[in-house]
Amino acid sequence: MEGTKNIIKKELTRVFTDKKMIVSLFILPGILIMVMYTIMGKLISNLEKDIEEHIPTVYIQNAPEDFIEIINYVDYKGHITYLNSADETKAIRDGILTGDIDLLVVFDEGFRETINNYKEAGDPIPEVKTYYNPSEEYSSAARSEFIGSVLNAYQQVLLTERLGNVEQIQVFYIDREPESSVIVDEDRASGKYLSMLLPFLINIMLFQGAMGLGTDAITGEKERGTLASMLLSPIKRSEIVFGKLTSLGILTGISAIIYVISVVIGLQNLSGGGMGEMTSIRFTPIEIIQLLLILIILVYLYVSMVCLVAVYARTQKEAGTYVTPLYILVMLGSIMTMFSAGADKGLQYYAIPVYNGTVAIQKLLLGELTMAQFGITVGTLAAATLIITSFIIKAFNNERVMFNA
Amino acid sequence: MIQINELTKIYKLTKKQMMEQKTNKKMMKAVDGISLISRPGEIYGLLGPNGAGKTTVLRCIATLLKPTQGEISVCGFDTVKESEQVRKRIGFLTNEIKLDPQFSPKYMFTFFGKLHGLDDKIIDERREELFSYFGIKDFEDKKIDELSSGMKQKASIAVSLVHDPEVIIFDEPTTGLDIVTARNVTEYLKLMRDKGKTVIISTHIMTEAEKLCDRIGIIIKGNLVLEGTLDEILSNTNTRDLEDAFFELYKIHNKEGE
Repeated sequence: MEGTKNIIKKELTRVFTDKKMIVSLFILPGILIMVMYTIMGKLISNLEKDIEEHIPTVYIQNAPEDFIEIINYVDYKGHITYLNSADETKAIRDGILTGDIDLLVVFDEGFRETINNYKEAGDPIPEVKTYYNPSEEYSSAARSEFIGSVLNAYQQVLLTERLGNVEQIQVFYIDREPESSVIVDEDRASGKYLSMLLPFLINIMLFQGAMGLGTDAITGEKERGTLASMLLSPIKRSEIVFGKLTSLGILTGISAIIYVISVVIGLQNLSGGGMGEMTSIRFTPIEIIQLLLILIILVYLYVSMVCLVAVYARTQKEAGTYVTPLYILVMLGSIMTMFSAGADKGLQYYAIPVYNGTVAIQKLLLGELTMAQFGITVGTLAAATLIITSFIIKAFNNERVMFNA
Repeated sequence: MIQINELTKIYKLTKKQMMEQKTNKKMMKAVDGISLISRPGEIYGLLGPNGAGKTTVLRCIATLLKPTQGEISVCGFDTVKESEQVRKRIGFLTNEIKLDPQFSPKYMFTFFGKLHGLDDKIIDERREELFSYFGIKDFEDKKIDELSSGMKQKASIAVSLVHDPEVIIFDEPTTGLDIVTARNVTEYLKLMRDKGKTVIISTHIMTEAEKLCDRIGIIIKGNLVLEGTLDEILSNTNTRDLEDAFFELYKIHNKEGE
């Protein structure tokens, strides 16, 4: 164990005494992720603001006189052009298609008379038809704004006029105060949101960290001839392997934590603080231990996967090529869980390495991970890690692998 | 003491290696049934051209390679079955094995001292002795990356001797060194011999072998073709110097098997 300890110390010293290494491994990716998500957030909020501030161009055909009053009354903001029934609307509809015009509203001819003449069921009911382009943000927004603020108000006015008392047709209300009717476990709600994204991110970030570090620490050292000097010391090959894996695991863990924090900060900027509930997730002590255990084993698994590939590669370039399919595999395992948050799986699914780690983290965020699921996940991950580690030790003992002999 | 008994080492060639060496043989015999003994208090020199198998023999002694046939014992320990015990007792220097360029010679010296299980006090003493002998003190805190090749070689030598090994195995120890440092290294090897250590080196420099080695083994194409003191080799080949003797032997043995 002394050997392992010394190797861990050396590997960590190597990284933490090298400013370039610290910047390229930890600081730069963190900043990049944060900046990327912040810029994305800015762009999205700019877009939303732009739509909000846009004054729509609206054409209204056959508008009844009292409707124009309503428009003035609700202070509707838009460039409105009123048309007669004789006017041709083809050019306007083409304008909507190209995005130059946002909305065309057509009242039936004799709209007001038809309403006034209504006596009993079966009498004709007139129509207001809207023409808009759903693929144009401005047009969709203009339509929903027009219906919400103008047409609905107009309808209310006409109903009051006809019935005198609108309450007669209201009969009952549904949720007069919508906020007070929401009963939700805040933890679970935000957990559900997070559980979709976070396990995926953690997985990808962990593997990415392991990838960069592992190929350098094994293939790089092999290439530089510095690994052989360690093989000459009177310690077991397994001690060297454990030293390498543990130090890589620590470094990968640190980089993953930094990446995830950057992503969370970036996402917060992205949704304008809407992800604030993230911090409201609370774990019980047992859940924290479970999460830590899963994470530690996952880190070890990924590091060992990368190392196994790295030890067989002759050059770092070769290692990079070999490791890519593994990366895709891990990504696939994580993506699969992204769209099934909360769905219940049979226990056997918890015996699929990589996939099970993501699902377990997901369940943990939702507060739904059972002990059986946890046990099987940790068990299979640990078994997979041990098997891979034994292969690495075997490779370290193989002169053909270590010395190209 | 190193005892090599009928050592044969066969490499399997990959397709790429076969193409590079323009051969269609899948195996390459790098060492063919070599037996030799290197004793405490003497410097044994393996002399031979490039690719003769010198480095392979030394790597087998250093436990980095396993013999295909035959066995090697170092201080009574088998290099395959008791490789850790062997590694405890040897200091091995070769060109392809390097020190981590990120660190200083001082850090590397301490690191390998600890891997050999030495305590801080002994490491400090050894460093004081070796660093002042090889003149490393001036650059002991510089990154190895920033050192000249001669400085790197000196640092490698010092680090390989951190644990005061009983057996010293140096593969072409003076390659890349200037004349002063080269002399420094050979003088140190003589000092070690006089202290009763077992020293084995490989070289292709005739004068080095003549001046430094107590006994010389000439390797050609994986075979130990002649072994003895300088005088024995000269009288055996009926020549006046080692270079002539070597070419005599090379003429005979390089043809064989062609």
